[in-house]
Amino acid sequence: MARFKGLNYRRPAYLLILMNLFGFGLLFVKNSYDTKMLYVGAGLLGLFLILYTIIVLCRMGDKFIALMACMLITIGVLLLCRIDLSFGIRQIVWVAVGGIAFFVAYLVYYHIRFWDRMWMVYVILGTGLFLATLIFGKTINGARNWIAVGNVTVQPSELTKILYIMFLACYYSKAWDKPLGRITPKWGTLMVTYLFIGFLVLQRDWGTILVLFAIYIFMTYVYEKNYGFLLMNIAAALVVAFLGYRFLYHIQVRVSTWLNPWEDISNTGYQITQSLFAIASGNYFGRGLGNGSPGYIPEVHSDFIFAAVCEEMGVFGGAAIILLFFLIAYRCFKIAILAKDAYDKAVCFGLTLMFAVQTFIIVGGVIKLIPLTGITLPFVSYGGTSIVVNFVSLGIIQAISAKEERHGGEKGGR
Amino acid sequence: MADKQEKGYSQKKRMLHILVVVCLMFLSLITYLLYFNMFEAKEVAGNPYNKRQWEDERFVKRGNIYDRDGELLAETVVNGDSRTRRYPKGNLYSHVIGYYSRVYGKSQLEMAYDKELLGQGDITLSFQELRSGYNLNLTIDHDLQQYAYQQLGGRKGAVVALEPQTGKVLAMVSCPDFAPEAAALEKNWNTIVEREDAPLLARATQGLYAPGSTYKIATAAAAYDTGRIAETFEDTGTFTQGGMKVDNYGKKAYGEIGLKRGFELSSNFVFCTLGYELGPDKVKETAEKFGVNKEIPFDISVSRSKIQYKKIEKEDAALVSIGQGQLLMTPLHVAMMGASVANGGKMMRPYLVDTVTTVSGVKLSATKPDVLYQSMTEDCAAYLDDLMQGVVKNGTGSGARISGVTVAGKTGTAENETNKDHAWFVGYAPAEAPSIAVAVLLEYDGGAGGSNAAPIARRVMQKYLNSMR
Repeated sequence: MARFKGLNYRRPAYLLILMNLFGFGLLFVKNSYDTKMLYVGAGLLGLFLILYTIIVLCRMGDKFIALMACMLITIGVLLLCRIDLSFGIRQIVWVAVGGIAFFVAYLVYYHIRFWDRMWMVYVILGTGLFLATLIFGKTINGARNWIAVGNVTVQPSELTKILYIMFLACYYSKAWDKPLGRITPKWGTLMVTYLFIGFLVLQRDWGTILVLFAIYIFMTYVYEKNYGFLLMNIAAALVVAFLGYRFLYHIQVRVSTWLNPWEDISNTGYQITQSLFAIASGNYFGRGLGNGSPGYIPEVHSDFIFAAVCEEMGVFGGAAIILLFFLIAYRCFKIAILAKDAYDKAVCFGLTLMFAVQTFIIVGGVIKLIPLTGITLPFVSYGGTSIVVNFVSLGIIQAISAKEERHGGEKGGR
Repeated sequence: MADKQEKGYSQKKRMLHILVVVCLMFLSLITYLLYFNMFEAKEVAGNPYNKRQWEDERFVKRGNIYDRDGELLAETVVNGDSRTRRYPKGNLYSHVIGYYSRVYGKSQLEMAYDKELLGQGDITLSFQELRSGYNLNLTIDHDLQQYAYQQLGGRKGAVVALEPQTGKVLAMVSCPDFAPEAAALEKNWNTIVEREDAPLLARATQGLYAPGSTYKIATAAAAYDTGRIAETFEDTGTFTQGGMKVDNYGKKAYGEIGLKRGFELSSNFVFCTLGYELGPDKVKETAEKFGVNKEIPFDISVSRSKIQYKKIEKEDAALVSIGQGQLLMTPLHVAMMGASVANGGKMMRPYLVDTVTTVSGVKLSATKPDVLYQSMTEDCAAYLDDLMQGVVKNGTGSGARISGVTVAGKTGTAENETNKDHAWFVGYAPAEAPSIAVAVLLEYDGGAGGSNAAPIARRVMQKYLNSMR
């Protein structure tokens, strides 16, 4: 294992350390030498170093995915601290919780071997979460997808994404092949997909709908031999989308503000135009960390954080974030392709798609490439549930990667 | 087993397809981001709803604007955190300096010189201290501007006065105008926008009009170029060609006349015949020599004068030669055309901002006069000078005569889509050593340029010449 001794795993970590030093150092100076900034930076860096050291020392598979996620978190926390220090501090707490969740997910996923037999559990859990949201849910920003637990609000739909992927993987790994009554697994997955989407429509969580459906379509493309089923699904989606556009005011507004947000700047087009103003003001290299005005952008700490990144770090900064996501997706793809176990392969593939599609939807929405649907930017946006769930997904991918690395050609663990 | 192998293979392949799709998705994000930044960002960032534009001003006292003698035309009054942009001369400069409103943005010089007025590019050591922006010193002569405004007397139109040798704008009035101070503007905006006479249109720089007979200056230059100045024409009063009929003003027939006399009497017959015979190419070439179809670089935005034909026929060339047809020009451009004759054929680049200075009076930049086009040869300019003197001495432009001063000029009465003609006059004085060139446009005036526009030009020139003594 010569590569454990070389610079191979250290050099990228230096970049992360540098980014933290410069970033928080700058904020420290900019905020009239507020020492809190330094503590926050040190705390965050400490967390990353612990995380990374454990990953390297325990040989937990791919080392760079988590490192790149840490870089994304750094950029996110830097902006959050700059927008409102209290957001930054809470985010770091969530990163700590997420870090623990990462290792828990890693260990649990690594050691339990009957994930592929539990499709029923995923469906019931997912449905339960949806029902709980509908009954106890709170409406925040037009989407009824929050539950208050004590004084923390959680977004169960984030968690259902993972459940849904694990459920899909049961069928696609052929572990679930017995029909339930008259329903074959193939149609079963289809029904569950539309059931979940139906729940999400009730919650008006269009972003998550897009993510789930894209995962379903991509997985169908990979696993279904003939294209008939896939085409049928796409056709159905087009019909549903068209009907939605015809009859749902929500969707009409989104499409029309996407086509021409300038018509109604002060009202429906407000969010997207504020986002575009921020990006346009940033130019190529940005106005500099701390020099921009992210305060004008609504929801800047969660959905619109990418616009703030573009304003302060420039379009090149934004492109760097997109490239980081691409690299994460690429390495995850590699793990999925190399994984020997069919279930692991499908889960890893699904989670990869989740990251990729989610990034595309929110970044595309914020820059007005596609209609805007509110969803968090993984690892960058503020949000406890989002951070923890993304860390859990990462933990699962890490476990799959570790199995591959340790057992090599053998059938991993199972 | 073999089947499974084969299936596994295609599965991997399809996963790679998805990887390619994901690649393309990310690539499209980056491409669109770069595209947006290259082609759209500038306009988006300048949108008045972008609050960032006003941020700098919290620490800046926007610069003042003065006329060439130091008369205050615009200032910012600071009262605690509030900033009020005041225009002591009221509506007079609404189409030159423009407005400055948080709701409707900025226009004219306020927009074009925003950076200078905010004093950007300055290194500041402290963020909290109130900084002063730079002052603009205009080439405008406030007394002349005021006088020209009075002469227009509320009629719709424009007066532009230039210094022929430099291109300095001495006065530039457009009417109707509006109250430019932000409070008034924001209160009256809807009324202003909906008014049929379009007070927001800066007629001098952005109004496009048929130049009418003033354009015969360019046609005469083309005639001089092609050596046709010695010819005589048999003026029947009506130019007829292929179903098209053009009458002289007042349907007069002048009989046998030369080019000079035709110019003085503004004979459409003579100039249509010339244009028809010169042909479309020569007519278009001449127009472009004078800057038609080209952008005029200026401190505030100017509409492009243009010949709007897809394909220009010989009949069209005849019409363009008398400043009708699809030829449209701005009053500023017509003034520049007159000024170029006064300046030996050199059309100078017009400018409004003479110098930019700091509060303490340090000169940061000064505009240097610059030749925009050599629109004609010096000989040709001398010939035209003679023609234009003739117009005032014993032609249609007698209304512009000033006792003791030789005035040169050209009248124009331009037909348009209504039955009320535009009245034009362009001229300069004194002809021996021109110090001012003036163009006057009265929009939808209904009268002749010689009787309505020329006297205004005369009074403006006289006022300026008197002030120089």
